Amino acid sequence: MVAAAVISIAYNFCKMKIFKITVSLAALFVCTMSYAQQTQDSVKTYKKRVLETTEVDFLTSYYSQDGDNAAVSGGLGTEELTDFTGTFIVSIPLNDDDVLTIDAGVSAYTSASSSNVGPFDGGEPADPFVASSGASSSDTWASLSGSYSHSSDDRNTIVSGKLSVSREYDYFSLGFGGGLTKLFNEKNTEVSVNANVYLDSWTAIYPTELRPFASGANGLANGLFSNNTITGNTNYSPIFNEFSDETRNSYSVGFGFSQILSKNLQGSLALDFIQQEGLLSTPFQRVYFSDVADSFIDNFQLADAIEQLPDTRFKVAAGGRLNWYINETVVVRSFYRYYYDDWGINSHTASVEVPIKLTDKFTVYPSYRYYQQTAADYFFGYEEALSTDTFYTSDYDLSKYSANQFGMGVSYTDIFTKMHIWKLGLKSIDLKFYKYDRDTTFSSRIITAGFKFVLD
Amino acid sequence: MMKKILIFTLIAASFTSCTVLKEYEKININDPDMVLQDKKADRNLTTAHSYREAAAGANGGKTGGGCGCN
Repeated sequence: MVAAAVISIAYNFCKMKIFKITVSLAALFVCTMSYAQQTQDSVKTYKKRVLETTEVDFLTSYYSQDGDNAAVSGGLGTEELTDFTGTFIVSIPLNDDDVLTIDAGVSAYTSASSSNVGPFDGGEPADPFVASSGASSSDTWASLSGSYSHSSDDRNTIVSGKLSVSREYDYFSLGFGGGLTKLFNEKNTEVSVNANVYLDSWTAIYPTELRPFASGANGLANGLFSNNTITGNTNYSPIFNEFSDETRNSYSVGFGFSQILSKNLQGSLALDFIQQEGLLSTPFQRVYFSDVADSFIDNFQLADAIEQLPDTRFKVAAGGRLNWYINETVVVRSFYRYYYDDWGINSHTASVEVPIKLTDKFTVYPSYRYYQQTAADYFFGYEEALSTDTFYTSDYDLSKYSANQFGMGVSYTDIFTKMHIWKLGLKSIDLKFYKYDRDTTFSSRIITAGFKFVLD
Repeated sequence: MMKKILIFTLIAASFTSCTVLKEYEKININDPDMVLQDKKADRNLTTAHSYREAAAGANGGKTGGGCGCN
């Protein structure tokens, strides 16, 4: 399976005519690794433990969003969603060189948008801008991962492996991967390579009104249509076939490079190649065609079809960071990323964060982030797609847009860990708030908090 | 696309010509805010971005797995 992924990625490289560039990059990586072997630190130094003691991080966040372009209702309807997440990350030093990290998280969401997978709940009249009380209005996502890293005696080589599993009602994900990091130039330079595989599977859920049109079902004779009155085009006849393949596999290879540039400046570059295969459409996202007469129950327009997207997607992301220590008070952290995929999306991401130390314990974090993307070739707004098209979606996350995000955070750090909970000393608290607005109707807010403890 | 990757490669190559700092000269570089990755507290923000935006990768975040389709 991994071999198939490698072949698939190689095929896409050739298709994109970047094979030569990739070979150059690989050559650069090999040369760098070779140079690293020749310039290993020649002086034996005291071998410090990679991790002195067990560390526990508790991360939590509250996210909310809203907008008028829900993909579930074909690009027109509420996108209201709230999500609460809690995660524990425990890093355990197994010996001087090895660290085991366990990461367990739960995320619970309520979504007015998703609730309209089944909008005909018998309560209020069905409406794409009103949440229904169906089972799809909320869900819980749970995740567990374990990673293991080994550092060489000179701390110039780090090998790591990772295994992860996550589950929500209609989606299961199994992931594994590994990485190799080499440091040289007296640890002024770092190169890394990593690879990850995710084997995901859907339990496909389709819009309520389409289920009677599945193979072998009873169509308009179904109780849904006898209990509710169809208005508009009463001869409702959607295009609907259940997906035969409910798997989604993702394969990624990433290269990293970081360098200390001066006593106050360091930067890094990252290059990721990602190949996805399988069911890349979301089964419950409706599409309305411009060449098909509209049918309604109450105020809710019945689906003409569900989104259809290609079963492969190749992505390339290249990013860089540059951090500048201006003085004891101010640091500037910057990030830029260019992204491309073969669905026709190009995007630019740029962000800057300026940590300002107020005291030896408190730092504030004002930040700004800009994001823009072009539309996928298969994106159509509400009622813009044609029934003769092969691929179509009205998911506005795949539309053309730009977004601005403003953030502010504060952190408290106590290197002496005076405050205790049981045997855990509190080392730091991070609180952040971000406000995100697209140039469409979509906006979101997130409050995050991170608590870091160390075991006495 | 080719131009952009070429520029990226040249930038990477140019980094190797920098001065080598000794460990005792890295006081400022070792400041926690100089770390070349997002803080852990920002992880859920990065996840939200990867779910709502088409772009993913090259930022230490997820490059696959999970649905994020609600």
